[in-house]
Amino acid sequence: MAAHLRANIFRYRLSNSGLLVAIQKCGFSSSESVIEYRNRLFDEEKKRQRDNIGRIEKIEVRYIGVPKNETLIVNKDISTPYNCAQHISESLLRISAVAVVNGHQWDLHRPLKESCTLQLVNFRSKDTIGVNQAFWRTCSFVLGGVLETVFKDDSGIYLHSFPKPDIKSGSFTYDFALKNQNWEPSPTELKAIGIEMCNFAAQNDKIERLDVSHDIALEMFKTNPFKREQLPNISNQNNGIITLYRAGKHIDISKGTMIGSTQFIRKARIASVHKILKDDSELYRIQGIALPTGFTLSTYAFNILSDRAKKLNTIGLQQNSSEKNDNQEHPEESTSKMKQRI
Amino acid sequence: MVGKPLKSLGYAEVTKLMSELKVPVLPRHRNLSSPLGPEGRINKLRQTVTALVKYERIELFHNRADEARGYVERLVSDARRYGDQNKEMMEMASYWLLEKQLVHKLFKVICPRFHDTFDGPFTTAYNAPRKYPSETERKQYFKRVVLELKGHPFPPLLPQASYQGKYLIHNVLLDAAMKDYYQEKKLNAMQNKKEEVTESVDEEKELDNQIKE
Repeated sequence: MAAHLRANIFRYRLSNSGLLVAIQKCGFSSSESVIEYRNRLFDEEKKRQRDNIGRIEKIEVRYIGVPKNETLIVNKDISTPYNCAQHISESLLRISAVAVVNGHQWDLHRPLKESCTLQLVNFRSKDTIGVNQAFWRTCSFVLGGVLETVFKDDSGIYLHSFPKPDIKSGSFTYDFALKNQNWEPSPTELKAIGIEMCNFAAQNDKIERLDVSHDIALEMFKTNPFKREQLPNISNQNNGIITLYRAGKHIDISKGTMIGSTQFIRKARIASVHKILKDDSELYRIQGIALPTGFTLSTYAFNILSDRAKKLNTIGLQQNSSEKNDNQEHPEESTSKMKQRI
Repeated sequence: MVGKPLKSLGYAEVTKLMSELKVPVLPRHRNLSSPLGPEGRINKLRQTVTALVKYERIELFHNRADEARGYVERLVSDARRYGDQNKEMMEMASYWLLEKQLVHKLFKVICPRFHDTFDGPFTTAYNAPRKYPSETERKQYFKRVVLELKGHPFPPLLPQASYQGKYLIHNVLLDAAMKDYYQEKKLNAMQNKKEEVTESVDEEKELDNQIKE
């Protein structure tokens, strides 16, 4: 079924696109090797940071929550909240989505830096607002990874960015550019992307976080004109540091917290694709809806939500320019990127 | 059960003489068939009451559990009311509890477990799954019950009730969808009104023109 649907998507692939040219210019044969190159850089940087730690120091983590409050002695800059959960309880390990360290959200797979208090939050905890945001952000992030793989190499796809998650807007989104400017996806194609997203989530990859310097990030995203332009702005705002996330082989830039693993995305549906104008570039905005594991909704209710997600989600667009800087995950300079791309 | 009429006649309130049971009690007792007759029935109940006080959580058939439950309630509430200095209470306890050390447990462990103002029920009964009937065990297809004393040290049988709040993700989504729906409905209604007004204005103008002509 999925293979059949995927074949339908291929109908819209165009040949001789900008991406292929750009990739070949940078010395890659296809987008596959771009992804591998990115992953290699990521691994090398991660190993370098690990080697730089040197002498291992111990920190004290005070865990607050069920089954009981505990104090753990763990490795500084190596142990993560996930490791702490491994020491506490297996069921806790299974359900925890996001950690709260000293009252601030913290990724499950991000090493702890100092002695702290630790709480582990799941989707049914009393204070779920932060978890929901992290889930929505992860959905956008994973959707980006799906888009990167689902199109043919010569379709000319460039990921642009995704706006700050807003659950009340009814959909998570990702903005991307295609060589084909008149792509109107059929319902079958949307369904296929949704299935691919579920498949991606089912791989059960842990979502890693890595802070890298501007140069390394630039090297990773040198084939993507949009990201290349966004990078200086982001690093200026963040003292020259760029936060990368990786799930499986997909690497993307994001500020915020993500949930610990892709396995929490259970049911995903892609609702619509709209053409938008963002920072003078013509982009597609893909919108979808997803529910975490353990949440069941009747088909009727889920259809209501997916019908609503078909409407254009205007977060970070020109219409509400006053909120633009607050809402956008990565505010970029308004320059014509499409021109530069060609 | 017995309320106003007795009191108005000058009798003391029954609940002051005898503990009021907080569990449902049938109007007539169950016979619990036994070759020994009523004595056999009481013996069966004594065994169950003893087992419950001893193990604090037991699984058994519904009939006997429901029947024994009232006796346990009565025993615990009387033990709390009269204490271990009362001779009749001591006799009653040593009659219903077949093992001597359980009498000590009743007064020293189970009674102090409940707060002074707490007046029952002291037991909890859960419906348990039945065994699927087979040819050999056809008689076993009766309702089963798990009976437990409150405040026991075991992990709870039912999962803890999770938080069902408005901040759970599907509730947030549905809430936003509902607001969006009503907002759109309101906007549509306002637009329709405007159109009606403009239409009526047009009609008036046409009428005026006709009159002038």
